[in-house]
Amino acid sequence: MYELNGKTINHDEEGYIVNLDDWSEELADKIAKDEELDMTEEHWEVVKFLRDYYQEYQIAPAVRVLTKAVGKRLGQDKGSNKYLYELFPYGPAKQACKIAGLPKPTGCV
Amino acid sequence: MTHPDDTPAEIVVKRFLYVNRKAPHGTIYALEELEMVLIAAMFEQDVHLAFLDDGVFQIKKNQKPAELALKDFSKTYGALEDYGVEKIYVEKESIEERGLTPDDFIIPTTVLRRDDMSALMESMDVVLTA
Amino acid sequence: MDYVIMVNEGPYNHQASDSAYHFATHALDKGHSIRRIFFYYDGVLNGTKFSAPQSDDRNIVKRWAALAEDHPVDLAICVAAGLRRGITDDSLADGFRITGLGEFIESCIDAERTVVFGD
Repeated sequence: MYELNGKTINHDEEGYIVNLDDWSEELADKIAKDEELDMTEEHWEVVKFLRDYYQEYQIAPAVRVLTKAVGKRLGQDKGSNKYLYELFPYGPAKQACKIAGLPKPTGCV
Repeated sequence: MTHPDDTPAEIVVKRFLYVNRKAPHGTIYALEELEMVLIAAMFEQDVHLAFLDDGVFQIKKNQKPAELALKDFSKTYGALEDYGVEKIYVEKESIEERGLTPDDFIIPTTVLRRDDMSALMESMDVVLTA
Repeated sequence: MDYVIMVNEGPYNHQASDSAYHFATHALDKGHSIRRIFFYYDGVLNGTKFSAPQSDDRNIVKRWAALAEDHPVDLAICVAAGLRRGITDDSLADGFRITGLGEFIESCIDAERTVVFGD
């Protein structure tokens, strides 16, 4: 469970929140801290991109798709594995989705 | 699971056709077929999607399944382009019988007559239907 | 011929599991090979160890396991479809294995022919 301002928020065994409506920017900060990650503007850009993507398409994209889509929408320099893995060392799809409060990406990611 | 990037350098590319024949909600076929397509798209194969019979309703615009507490995965078809899946066919007779036109669909489609759809199926290596 | 078979329906609810089984046994008898039988949709229920049909009926789950004992056939259950329906390592019958859709797609690429049983 995550604790935030006296409220508890359930997550699964890997840390993905159970109820997607529980997400807030504060919670994202908290999840990131648990992952020993300091959220910079660049992190937020990817997290917000993922949330927008989920809003539009109802899925968390596979990592290869994420890389391509980030390049297309946020700029070619950001659409690389290197850039995204430096921001999210445990995997841009898995770790960034967790912070963004999205379901765990399924399949080969 | 083996990651697709582990496949040997000489990649066999087969023609895959995913045939969608059922209405989007009411049974789980449409959703799980779509989940399969999203995984399959990672394998550098020649992926095709066909919608026929009530399956054409899967890509109908303006679905509101949230009123039945169901997830609106019709939005996910819009991500297929990002997944490199762009060969999408609908059967002319199926959409006409249901009063639909390609403008009713959330993604761009190629309309095929029934006999051309058969020919398309005939030309495939793998046909997965649900 | 080297086949991969896909089973898409629940075992007792639908003829597909029976048809797939008869196809598989006859294909093997004729000397063909089946590299994998992949269970998807409600087909994953073919792999539950909690199935207990009446004694005068065929035992579909055990019949698959016996087939895989006699022949090098991989009985593969889709993890994602299985999770939805309570098929996990805790409920998996002997002879079956839980795997991903990716392995199924790979076997479609490698096999000479893919045969689907279901609606």
